[in-house]
Amino acid sequence: MAITIALAGNPNSGKTTMFNDLTGSSQHTGNWPGVTVEKKEGRLKGHREVVLQDLPGIYSLSPYSPEEIVSRSYLVNDRPDAIINIVDASNVERNLYLTTQLLELGIPVVVALNMIDVVRKTGDEIDVKKLEQALGCEIVETCALRGEGSVQAAERAVALAKNAAVTLTKNTFAPSKNTITNTAGNAHTSSLSKEAPRFLNRRTAFSNEVEAALDSIGSLVRELGAVKDKVAGKINNGEAYLRWLSIKLFERDAEAAKDAGIADTAEGKRVLAEIEKITTAVEDKLDDDSESIITDGRYNYISDIVKQTVKRKNAFALTLSDRIDRVVTNRILALPIFAGVMFLVYFIAVSTVGAWGTDWVNDVLFGSLVPDGVANGLAALGTAGWLNGLILDGIIAGVGAVIGFLPQMLVLFVLLAFLEDCGYMARIAFILDRIFRRFGLSGKSFIPILVGTGCGVPGIMASRTIESDNDRRMTVMTTTFIPCGAKLPIIALIAGALFPGSMWVAPSAYFLGIFAILVSGIMLKKLKRFSGRATPFVMELPAYHLPTPGGVLRTMLERGLAFVKRAGTIVLAATVLVWFLSSFDTSMQMVDTTDSILAIIGDKIAVIFSPLGWGDWRAAVATITGLIAKENVVGTFGVLYGFAEVAEDGAEYWPQLIAAFTPLAAYAFLAFNLLCAPCFAAIGAIHREMMDVRWTLFAVAYQCGFAYVISLIIFQMGRLFGGGGFTVGSAVAIVFILTLVWMIGFKKPYAVPAGERLSGAPASEVA
Amino acid sequence: MPLTLARPQDGAMIICKVGGKDETRKHLAELGFVAGEKVQIICEAAGNLILNVKGARIALDRQLAQRIMV
Repeated sequence: MAITIALAGNPNSGKTTMFNDLTGSSQHTGNWPGVTVEKKEGRLKGHREVVLQDLPGIYSLSPYSPEEIVSRSYLVNDRPDAIINIVDASNVERNLYLTTQLLELGIPVVVALNMIDVVRKTGDEIDVKKLEQALGCEIVETCALRGEGSVQAAERAVALAKNAAVTLTKNTFAPSKNTITNTAGNAHTSSLSKEAPRFLNRRTAFSNEVEAALDSIGSLVRELGAVKDKVAGKINNGEAYLRWLSIKLFERDAEAAKDAGIADTAEGKRVLAEIEKITTAVEDKLDDDSESIITDGRYNYISDIVKQTVKRKNAFALTLSDRIDRVVTNRILALPIFAGVMFLVYFIAVSTVGAWGTDWVNDVLFGSLVPDGVANGLAALGTAGWLNGLILDGIIAGVGAVIGFLPQMLVLFVLLAFLEDCGYMARIAFILDRIFRRFGLSGKSFIPILVGTGCGVPGIMASRTIESDNDRRMTVMTTTFIPCGAKLPIIALIAGALFPGSMWVAPSAYFLGIFAILVSGIMLKKLKRFSGRATPFVMELPAYHLPTPGGVLRTMLERGLAFVKRAGTIVLAATVLVWFLSSFDTSMQMVDTTDSILAIIGDKIAVIFSPLGWGDWRAAVATITGLIAKENVVGTFGVLYGFAEVAEDGAEYWPQLIAAFTPLAAYAFLAFNLLCAPCFAAIGAIHREMMDVRWTLFAVAYQCGFAYVISLIIFQMGRLFGGGGFTVGSAVAIVFILTLVWMIGFKKPYAVPAGERLSGAPASEVA
Repeated sequence: MPLTLARPQDGAMIICKVGGKDETRKHLAELGFVAGEKVQIICEAAGNLILNVKGARIALDRQLAQRIMV
């Protein structure tokens, strides 16, 4: 039988790092809370029968943001065979708050005291043996980053799970709050897998009044339908479950009542009413609400334990991280520092280091070396003309055009990985909160946006840590306005071909993205579907640390590999299709591109885009293929313009682009492609987050509409001021501008009728 | 006084009350903001605060900081 072990713990405590270490997988990690938003499954290295579950970080078993629901429902309803609770050793007290709750689930728990190296460095001391006794669970000191102790923790969890399956049916739950029945203390250091597990899971002791109330609640629900089965042994350690449920019901946790199946029966409702009476009585007596009573009880229990087991040097001495924070979040310096960092990232990746690499690959590698080599080889083999065409004009021209941008991507990935790992990311969210708030977004929206500069799909998923539905939906809709890695080639192509030597085109693409996000924020916020109050900003900030070169390189290689894989699969397939459609006519005769099937189709579509200045059918086709993957825009140009050129002398197709576009039209083309609906993968991600077809359609329609309007304004106004004369197009552009100005500046926000419950706002905002 | 009136140089202060009655308050409690706990302001930017509580570094906006009385 497979054994499942869950990795649970506070956000940013190192769960995924340990998961990767134990399973040999390479899930994305980073130094900010909320990197993991989905549960991930893997098999323990060397023990294929053991399944490990990596879960999103949680502060307690009462979820606050959407990704936390996943963790809670997995732990409570799916009940893994054992839990490895990862505790950040440098912050034991807060982390143990969750531990007390996990211990109550009646599932064997091993505490992994992670980042123990940090504690040792600061000179704090943790008495592990005493802590083990106090909690009644085994503790393993670990440093997941260096792989220390992880295997030990996993082995202990496996042993506990195997043992629990035998003993727990007898309901041997730690009996009392006063007796420590734990005997062994030194055993965890020697021959771990052979020693008998000590599964006691001591429970938090609350005050007498609360304990009495919990007992009465327990006896009330013990006999209820679904609960009865569970307590009677349907799940391991049913008594513990009963206690846990009693606490949750005392806290008025509606979710727990629903899960236990007592919320919707008549009998259940009667019992719930009785529980309400018990709870209110205790609340009156202690003059506090039940949730706070439980919270305080837990913290008191923990601080007693911590007092005996942890020796702190000085908790309130300023650390290096604090000193850095005083500078980088300083009210005057924060924004200039942030702007500087961002400029540096894109300057290095797009304009300098990355561009040198890309130039070399485009000019030398795919400009002459590869095509010449392959052409010579094919000539020597004497292959058929159409095959030469497919390989040289189709595959090499198309895929080569995309792969050419790999150096820029790699540099960008290195810099992003560094930003994610050092801890600055969470600070950016904090700094930008007060600005984003004015535009109807949360500071946390910036994390998805920054992740989205690598790829929109994880960017959209990162929005899951945003608590409010409104802010989250808005972030999902606007995240892909920022140029992702796959749009980078489009920017570099337009900048390189039509604006040679200019510094501003690449950065302007990012400013355009930010502008689109902020403007959309203002406009969307005024719509009825987004109306509501702003949610408060609260976020834990991780300690800064210097990323390891290995970690940064691994992230870079992984993302780089994903990019190459896409080029070798989706882009390759699309390129071949484009080549085919552009080389043959409807009667399957090989013809000139301008007479091909694609030209006929493209001409029809191009009409839509001619007001934007790029009515050429090739540009229209490139835009459409961009929906499959944004790299295709460049790949398609490679095929459509590359043709004869590449085959003859290997020259690039840039000169042909210059002939086909005016700079103004090219910029309008760029703007449209950056802002319009993202690739299908990202639209899929939007749909997953929205969980509603109408919302997805609304998002995509909004993105395309917005892109069209902006692109049209750029082209028509540019032409008007460039001396092109006033036309119908100029009039339309002016109407669009006025509409935007009205939406941003003058339209009144949708007024929420007093007393009406907001559909989008979380319950807390209404209470 | 509300935390928004305190300054970084005030050092560690004791929380006497966390106002409001909602999920946000519960979340604050889970993060360590409970009555009787020590809290220290690390830095302040336009009313938004970075705080040290229970050995963790938490960023709060002004709106929330106002609900924490020290």
